[in-house]
Order: sequence, then structure tokens, then C-alpha cells
Amino acid sequence: MADILQCPNCKTENPIGSKVCKNCQTPLSPVNKITGGFIKPGQAPTRKHTADLEPVLPQWLRDARDAARGTEPQNSMEPPLPQAEKDQPAAPPSNDFLAGLQSSEPVSEDDDEYIPDWLANITGKSPTTPREATSEPNTSRRVEMGHTADFPIKEEPAEESETPSWLASLQSQEAEPEKDELTEWFRNASGADTPKHHEPTPKIEESAAAPQPDESPDWLRQMAMDAEKAEAPKPQEDSEFPADAPDWLRNLGSPIEVNPDSGLNPFSLTEQAPAESEASAPPIETPNWLSNETPKQDTTPKWLQDDRAASDSETPAWLANEAPIQLPPEPDSQPLSDDIFTELPGWLKAAAPESSIFSQAAKEPDVAPEPQQDSQDWLKDFQLAADQASEIKPESEATLENAPAFSTDFHSDENVNSLFTEMPDWLSNAVDSSSISPSTSPVDGALAPSELPSWVQAMRPADTSRVEKAQPAPTPNRDLPLESRGALAGLHGVLPAMPGFTPTSKPKAYSIKLNASKEQMAHAEILEQVLAAETSPDPIESLSAYRASRTLRWFIAFMVLVAVAAPVFLRTQFFSTPVGVPNETRDAISVTQAIPEGSALLVAFDYEPSRAGEIEAAAAPVFDQLLLLKHPRLTFISTNETGPILAERFISGPLAGHNYQSGATYLNLGYLSGGQSGIRAFALDPASVAPVDINSQPAWTSTPLQGVTALNQFAAMILLTDNADSARAWVEQTEITRKDTPILIISSAQSTPMIQPYYAAGQVDGIVSGLYGGAIFEQYNAGRPGTARLYWDAYSVGMFLAVVLTLFGGLWNLALGLRDRKPAGKGMK
Amino acid sequence: MRVLTAVIAIAVGLIVLIGYFLPQAEPLQSMLLNWAVTIAGAATLMGLLNLLSVHFTKVRRGEKGGIYSALLILAMLGTLAAGIILRPQHIGMQILMNGIILPVEAMLMGLLTISILYAAIRLLRHRTDTMGVFFILTALLIFLGSATLPFGDVPVIGTLIRPWVTQIWALGGARGILIGVSLGALTTGLRVLIGADRPYGGK
Amino acid sequence: MTLSPDLISGALSFLFTILILSYVIGDNPLFRVAIYVFVGVASGYVASVVIWQVLVPRLITPLVPTAMSNSPMQWVMIAVPLLGSILVFAKISQRLSGLARFSMAYLVGVGAAVTVAGAMIGTLLPQVQSTIEFFDPQIAAARSITTAEVVGNGAIILLGVVTSLIYFHFGAHQKTDGTMRRLLPIEILAWIGRIFIGITLGAVFAGVYATALTALIERLSSLINFFGLFS
Repeated sequence: MADILQCPNCKTENPIGSKVCKNCQTPLSPVNKITGGFIKPGQAPTRKHTADLEPVLPQWLRDARDAARGTEPQNSMEPPLPQAEKDQPAAPPSNDFLAGLQSSEPVSEDDDEYIPDWLANITGKSPTTPREATSEPNTSRRVEMGHTADFPIKEEPAEESETPSWLASLQSQEAEPEKDELTEWFRNASGADTPKHHEPTPKIEESAAAPQPDESPDWLRQMAMDAEKAEAPKPQEDSEFPADAPDWLRNLGSPIEVNPDSGLNPFSLTEQAPAESEASAPPIETPNWLSNETPKQDTTPKWLQDDRAASDSETPAWLANEAPIQLPPEPDSQPLSDDIFTELPGWLKAAAPESSIFSQAAKEPDVAPEPQQDSQDWLKDFQLAADQASEIKPESEATLENAPAFSTDFHSDENVNSLFTEMPDWLSNAVDSSSISPSTSPVDGALAPSELPSWVQAMRPADTSRVEKAQPAPTPNRDLPLESRGALAGLHGVLPAMPGFTPTSKPKAYSIKLNASKEQMAHAEILEQVLAAETSPDPIESLSAYRASRTLRWFIAFMVLVAVAAPVFLRTQFFSTPVGVPNETRDAISVTQAIPEGSALLVAFDYEPSRAGEIEAAAAPVFDQLLLLKHPRLTFISTNETGPILAERFISGPLAGHNYQSGATYLNLGYLSGGQSGIRAFALDPASVAPVDINSQPAWTSTPLQGVTALNQFAAMILLTDNADSARAWVEQTEITRKDTPILIISSAQSTPMIQPYYAAGQVDGIVSGLYGGAIFEQYNAGRPGTARLYWDAYSVGMFLAVVLTLFGGLWNLALGLRDRKPAGKGMK
Repeated sequence: MRVLTAVIAIAVGLIVLIGYFLPQAEPLQSMLLNWAVTIAGAATLMGLLNLLSVHFTKVRRGEKGGIYSALLILAMLGTLAAGIILRPQHIGMQILMNGIILPVEAMLMGLLTISILYAAIRLLRHRTDTMGVFFILTALLIFLGSATLPFGDVPVIGTLIRPWVTQIWALGGARGILIGVSLGALTTGLRVLIGADRPYGGK
Repeated sequence: MTLSPDLISGALSFLFTILILSYVIGDNPLFRVAIYVFVGVASGYVASVVIWQVLVPRLITPLVPTAMSNSPMQWVMIAVPLLGSILVFAKISQRLSGLARFSMAYLVGVGAAVTVAGAMIGTLLPQVQSTIEFFDPQIAAARSITTAEVVGNGAIILLGVVTSLIYFHFGAHQKTDGTMRRLLPIEILAWIGRIFIGITLGAVFAGVYATALTALIERLSSLINFFGLFS
């Protein structure tokens, strides 16, 4: 049997050394002994010589292969292709898809080869210790499934460079303990509780010598069954199944619905049938690796067929021809980009590294990259790895060990439909696992989602740079969050697809506090409180309050207008003029009485037109008395732009009776700009500052200013102002130059309180304050009528009205305010 | 240029200040002050031109209230023309003064009576503190003391309390305020003279 | 009836008085018209006053005599204010507005000096001296002030001055409880100063009301007199 290579596709027996099947041209490769374990995604491939892995081939595979070749029961693991049926020779069809997986080198009889427990359970042989794998000829390739660690990492000298890099990586995996990867894979695959695919075929049971119920993967059993059916009349259980569907496909268990949109897992065997049924079952969701089978309708798995055809190529044909099947990506796996994997089953491809596994070095440090060999060398590596396998995988892999990779029982008693609708256990285990955890041991023998079969891993080139989870390669994204779900599962540093992305780091908070000391802040706080109390306006509480205030305002306006207009209209003189004379007014009277007759008086008109009525009412009796008694020469000047014309109004209005003429008895020097500077300038040298009057006539040579050249040469200075600042400016700036010249201020009532200190300090000789002062002065004017008397009744009524309204209204509002504050105080408590 | 402006301000200010204390510096001070009077007049005119340009811009852009601004511009230009032609002391300008400026300002001042009374009535509702109480009490006293009765002043209040409050109590507060204002003006002026403050944009 | 200036001014006065008085009802277009016209007329009048009473007699009028004279001093006396005034008008142009800084600096410097000297000589020293001299018996006698008045009123005035100044002191220290408060003696004195300031401002407030009342009386009187012209 060792001299024969059985084609995994059509079961044709081929002599040893054949690279391709003479019947279906499927590449023939030696079977690598599976040492157990699975190839986990991200795991560095173990570089193997495939040709050396024949010893690794488990016994059950060998038996299956043998059985398929001849006397032994048919193995239905391989999908029976219609074309394959035609092309099949008369020789009993062998469903041993691994039939061609024989080492190129003559392998000793299998009696001494390593038989894992799981295989022993199937074949009934006693398990043996693994023996050192011998190199295999490069004439064929073997495909094994198992963990990377199953394959011993040998340090073989670099041989030919024909070995693809992915093979080299497989060979470099020396650190991994040798395990029966295929057995482990099968164990995991058969461990899944998939009722649809889980019916062990009688063929498997027969050939596997009563295998344990969950030890062999269902799909393997089904394939074995199908292989049987491929030779026997194939029961068309499902009339819906295409006529040219392969037998193994038809015999895959219970009827299944051919529904391409069923959304089944890529692992589901409901994907398109192998190559032979590729053209006939388009609507079926078949694994890509199945759908991409060659159209020769050979029952040999395509990966085996391709092995023959691509023996000279770097990429195993069965790998190159397989369509990609999506696997749940492992966390550390890199996206597939290798063209070599385009025809791989998707689930294999997903487990494969991102970049070309055939071009990147293995990540395992212990792996020594081996030179690329012939395509069959990788099988040798498998063989060697199998020989060097130390221990058998744990019990979870026993089922896989016992189950053939492709069993002829697979096709038997299995509804073909179940192939497409029901997921094999090993596939369901791989899909159901939400977290990609290569360390997760396969449950019930099913293949973990993120775990690659070891035989797949073994095929990876040694120089692949896949990021493996077992030995994660340092990548820039390692530290970034791992995406655990979705299409990008297993990748690092991807943007989350879910809305509500939260930043990984809290944004840095910057202080907006001003850099000020405590003392500065305290000062600012106090100043703030003071200013706020004075300037903060009260907000409008409500429209009703606004209406109430407007009503109150109208009421006050009505009262004031009536109270004021009535006495004026009636020209009453009911109220008495003030009797008491304030001190400042008394002194003012004294000053005016002390002015020499015919002397020059300087009169400053520094008030606004708005207060002209009050000022004129206060100043009229003063000037009337002066002009009447003293006949002074008046000189008008003003620091206000409207002052000159107000002076003209004053002299031609209340004092019209005195018939003062401009240029003769009075002179209007006009406007003096500059404020305090102008006053100071005028005080220093009035002739140069105001050389002409308002008529542009020379002033200081005129009669009114005759003999006057300086400020102190005036007999007195009379200031008419409504502004305390103006009074202060005149007082301050003329303090020195005025010397003994008295100054009399006739001011409005609003500025008197602020001018009072100057009078108290002796800087001002007298003050006549508003209408009150004018009324008093009129009493000392020999009874001459004056404006103050006319206004006095209205003035008194207005004052009394103010007292009444302020007193009663204020008390009322005080009560309201206290009432409003009480609830606020209770609330605060 | 900014340094030069600071030099001008400080130098001129110091010369003027020295003139207050040294009689020998008075002529120089007088000259500088004389120039300041002229320049200040030009500055006043510049302010009025600015007012004209603001309202002109408002009219040109068609902003809200532009019609009023147009009215203002017309009144201003018309009065300016009349003033330049007739001169400010002309009878026509007196008509403008007596007919428009004075009545408007006086009436605005008269309306203040209503606002003042309204504020006095509402004061204690919003501000019942020491200052507010003494404020309103003093105002009431002065109101009452300023008015007279048919037979004379209001007794006691008009003859004693009001003069005492205004000539003693208010004097103390007013003097304190004046001293404080003077200290502030002194400090501000000195800061300008030493160059600490440069409101003219100097450096 | 001839149109006398008094009639014209009276009519205008009546019209504008009524327009302004309409503000009692509320803000209205008539009031706004009166205000804007008033501002325009006042501005125009002020401009004419400045031109005729400042610039013409100080700059334009002396130009011819100065040009004809050979005195450099006269040239300087007219050239400097002329240049300063021209620089002030440079503010019209945005490009040349920087040149106006020279004139502004000149005015600010002069004003600062005048303010400093006036505050010190005209207010600060005399007021302080007056506060002290109030207690002088000789001066009091010259004013016919009794000793009791001197002591009593003097003390009140002195207390008012000091406490009013202390009221405007805002230096504070942080207490143990974290609040910022002034020292207790300062707080007490400031509270007293608040009384004096309240009294002073109350007097000012009463004076403002008296002034406003007088202005209102004058306006109502003019209205009534205007009607009297036609009666």
C-alpha cells in the first residue's frame, strides 16, 4: 500500500512518485502525519517539509486510504463528482482523499509508525509513540490538518530554494511540540453538537472501528458516506438537488434547502459543492473551497487535486484553487491579501495571516527559516513533524484524531441538503465562538472560530509575518484596543462602527482661573460688590409690575403738572418767601454791597440752557441790585459754548431795564475753550487769551475793561454755574491769581452741597443757591419784583407734593419690600 | 513716534506744573496754555465733525432711525451755515437758541421731576440699608425745609434742622468726597506726567 | 401781528415744549423728531461758536499780521497752534490719524499738569486746612462761632470727612472662615461714613429735584405766557 498513491479525488491508484493523478490530474502529495493540535490564527507557521510528513500521517488515514484503494470499505468522505464518476476507473473507488498523500520516499511499513490515540480508536490499532519523521520525496505533497505545534520544528539545512516561504515557515516551527494536528482538527470538528451533520455514517463507523460518537467530525463522516454513495447508486433524496451535484454532496445527510441567501456560515457545507458540482449548484451556499473545485468533477478534494497540478509551483494547488472562505478572524490575524490564498477555502483563508503567508517569515523565534523547497518538501516536513511528535493532543482532539479528514462515510446517509443548511459541528464551533481566542480549546471537537487547523498552518510559508496570538509580533497597533466583533474582529486600532464613540482619553482640562493672589481677589471682590450694588439694574419682574409702575408714573406726572401749573396759571402768591437767610446767602449780599461803584466785574456764564430758568431766577435779583446800585462794568466770559448767548439773553432779558450796551457798559468776551487749561490761561494773562469780544472788536482797550489787565484787577468775580465741577475749576485755577478779589457763586440748587465746602473753607465768598437764594435776595432788593416770587408758590406746592409722595409712597413701598423679603428669607432658611 | 508723543506730554506737563510754583516760569506756562486753548477749540470742532460723520454713515447705510439722522444732519448743517454767515450772536441764532435749544433742554430737565419723585417713592422697596434710609430722610428734610408756609418757613425744620444738615452734616460728607476726588485727580495727573498712563497712545 | 423775533422764538418754544412733554405718555416719533432737531441745531451752533470765537481770532486773524511781521517769535506763536490744530484735523483721514497723537499728547500733558496743581492747591490743601482751622478759636471768633458750636460742629465735620474717606477704602483680609472682610475698626468707621455720604447725596438729590422743579415751572410759565400773547 505504501507503494501506491491513491488519488484523493477519484481514488485512482497511482504509483509512488506520481505527482498528479493519472486520471483526474489531481496533484498527489504525501500525507503528513498529524501530530495533533490546531493552527491558531496569528500563530507562526511551522515550516515543514511536506514530503517528510508521511510518517506523520495518522494510521486511520492510511487505513482509510488503503480502504479506499481497494479491499477496505469505501470511504465517502470525498465529494463524489459526476465527472469523477465517469472518469473513475473500474478499480474500486477509493474515498481516501488522502490516498495521494503519501510520502515520496518509501515509507516503512506502518507498523512502527506513530499512531495517535484517536486514530487508534478508529482503526482499532494500538497507539504508538511518534517516531521521527523522515524526509519525504518531493514528488508529492501531503496535506495535514492540525496545530502548528504538531509539526516539529526542524533545523534542516537550507536546501533548494524551491520551497515557498510559507512552507519554510512551516518548517521552522520547531518549538511547537509535535502533535497530531489533523487529529486535533478532526477532534474539534467532530466535537460540535450539530445534529444535522452529526450523524455518523456507518462507513465511518466501520472503517474507524467504532469511533466514539463525538470524536470524528460530522463532515468527515458525511464525506465518507458520500464517497460510498458516489460509487453506489446515489439516492436522490432531494429532487431539488442539481443533477450534476456530486454524490458526496448529495449524501451529506438530511435534506437541506438550497437557499443561497440562507446566510449560513461560510463554514457551512451548504456552500457550493466541490469543483465537480460547481457549475451545477450555483444557488447553494457552498464553501468556497468547495465551490472552486476544478470542473473535472473529481471526487478528490480539490486541495489534493491541486497538489498534483501545482507541484512545481510554490503554492499548493489545492490552496491556490480554493476560493476564499471567510473565517471569523482571529484577533491578531492580518487581513488576507495573499493571492495565493484566493482559492483557499474561506475559513482557511480567514485563519491565514493578513499578508502572504508564503512571503513572510514566521514569528516564532525558534523557527529557523528554511529554504524553499519543492512543493513536496512541505509534505516531508509534515512527515518529519509527525515523527518527532511527542505527545498526543488532549482528549478533545481525540475525536479529530480518530476521524479521517475526508471520510468516505461522509456521503452516506447524510442528506445533501443538510450539507447546505446544517453546519457541521466543527464549523459551528468555529462560528459560534464570539471571541476570537486562539487559546480557546475547541469544544466538542469543533473547530474554533479563530483557530486554524494545523495542517493549514503547516502550509503557511515560513517567512510569513503573520501576527500570531500565541507569539504576538510587535506591531504598531498592538497597544490599541482590540475589536472583538464585527467584520473587523481581531484587528487592533480600528475605529468603532457603533455610534456614540467615546474618546479613549479625557480631554485635558485647562484652568480658566485668573492668576491672581488672594489679596487681589479680595480687593476685586469688594470692589465688585460695591459697583454691583450701585449699577445693577433691577430686572423687570413681570408685565403687571411694569404696568403698575407706568400707572404710578402717570399718576405722579399728573399730580406734579397740576400742582405746578395751577399756581403759575393763577399767579398766586399764597406762600411766603423764605425768612431765614443762610450764611452763604448773607455773605453774598455782603459781597455785592461791598463792590465799588463803576468797577469792573468779571461774570462767568458757565451753565447749560436747561437751567437757565433757575439761574436767571437766582441771578436776576443780584444783578438787578448791583446794576441799580453800583453800575458796574460787566465783562462776560464763558467756558461753555452756549454761555455767550445765554449772557446776551440774560443781559437783554431780566436786566433789560438797565439798558446795558455791549462795548459800553458790558463786554462779552465769548467762549473760552480748554476747560481748566483755558481758565488757568485766562487767569494768567486774560488779554492774550481773550483779545477780542464776540464782535471781533478789541476787548482790552474798550470801556468795560478800561484799566483792567489782570484778573485781580476786577472788583469781584461772579460765577454763574449749575455744575460743581465748573465751580471747582474756577476756584482752583483762580485761587492764586485772583488774590483778594472776591468770588461770588450763583449756583443751581443741585450743585450747592458740593460748593459748600469751598465756602466753608473761605475760598468762595458767597453762594446764592437756586430759586431759594434768589427769593431771599429779592427781599433785599428793595422790593423790586422778581421771577422768584412768581415761581415761589408753584415751588412750594411742588416741594410739599414731593414730601407727601415720598413719605407715604416710600413707607408703602418699604412695607412691600419687607413683605417681599420675608418669603425669600424663609426660603433661604 | 510713540516715544515722541510721550516726551511731548511729559515735557509740556512738567513745564506747566512748574509754572504754578515758579513765577519765572509763568510766561512759558502762559504760552503753552495759550496754545492749548487753540488746539482744544480745534478738538471740539473735530468732535462735532465726528458726530456728523456718524449720522451720515447711518443715513448712507439706511440703518434703522436713518430718517432721524438725516433730520439731524439737516439741522446741523443749516445751523452751522447760519452761524457762519450770520455769526453766533445774530438775532437769528438767538431765535434758534430761545426757540429750540433752551426749551428742549429745559423741558427735558422738567420731566426729570417726575422721574425723581418716582425714584424717591420706590427707593425703600429695593434698598433698605443705612445709606438708603439716611438718603431719603435727608431729602425729605430738605424738601420740607425748602418750602415755606403761608406764614413763613416751616418751623424748626426750615429754620434749624435744614441749615444744620446742609451746612454741617452734608458738609462733612461733601468735603470727604471732594478730598477723595482731588486725591484721585492728583494721582491720575501724576501718572500721566511720569508716563505711567498714556491715554494718547504713546509709548 | 408782526412776526417779531419774540413771537417766532415763542412759537418754536411752544412747539418744542409740547413735543418734549409728550414723553410723559411714552416714547413717540414726535419726541424723537424734537430731540434729533435739537441735537442738530445745538451741534451746529456750537460749531459756529468755535469757529468764530476760537479758530478765527486765534489762527486766521493773526495770520496776515504775522506773515507781514519779521518777528520769528510771532511766527512761532502762530505756527505751533496752527500746526497743532491741523494735526487734530488729521483724524479725519484714517491714514493720517496717527498724527493727531501729537496734539492729543500736548493737550493731555497740559491738562494733567493743570489738574494736579489745581487739585493740590485749590482743593486738597485748603479743604484740609479748613477742617483743621475749624477748631481754631480765633477764626471761630472772627466768624462769631461759639466754642460749643466749634467743638460740636467741628467734630461732626471732622468725623464726616474722615469716615467718608475711610468708606472708600476697600482693603480686606481673608478671615479664618474664608470670607473677605475689612478690619473691624475700619468696618465701623466705614459704616459711619456711609451715613455721611447718604446725607450728602440726599442733599444733592433734593437740590436736583429743586432744579428740575424750577425748570418745569419756567417752561409751564412760558407756555402760559405764550397763550397770553394771543389773549
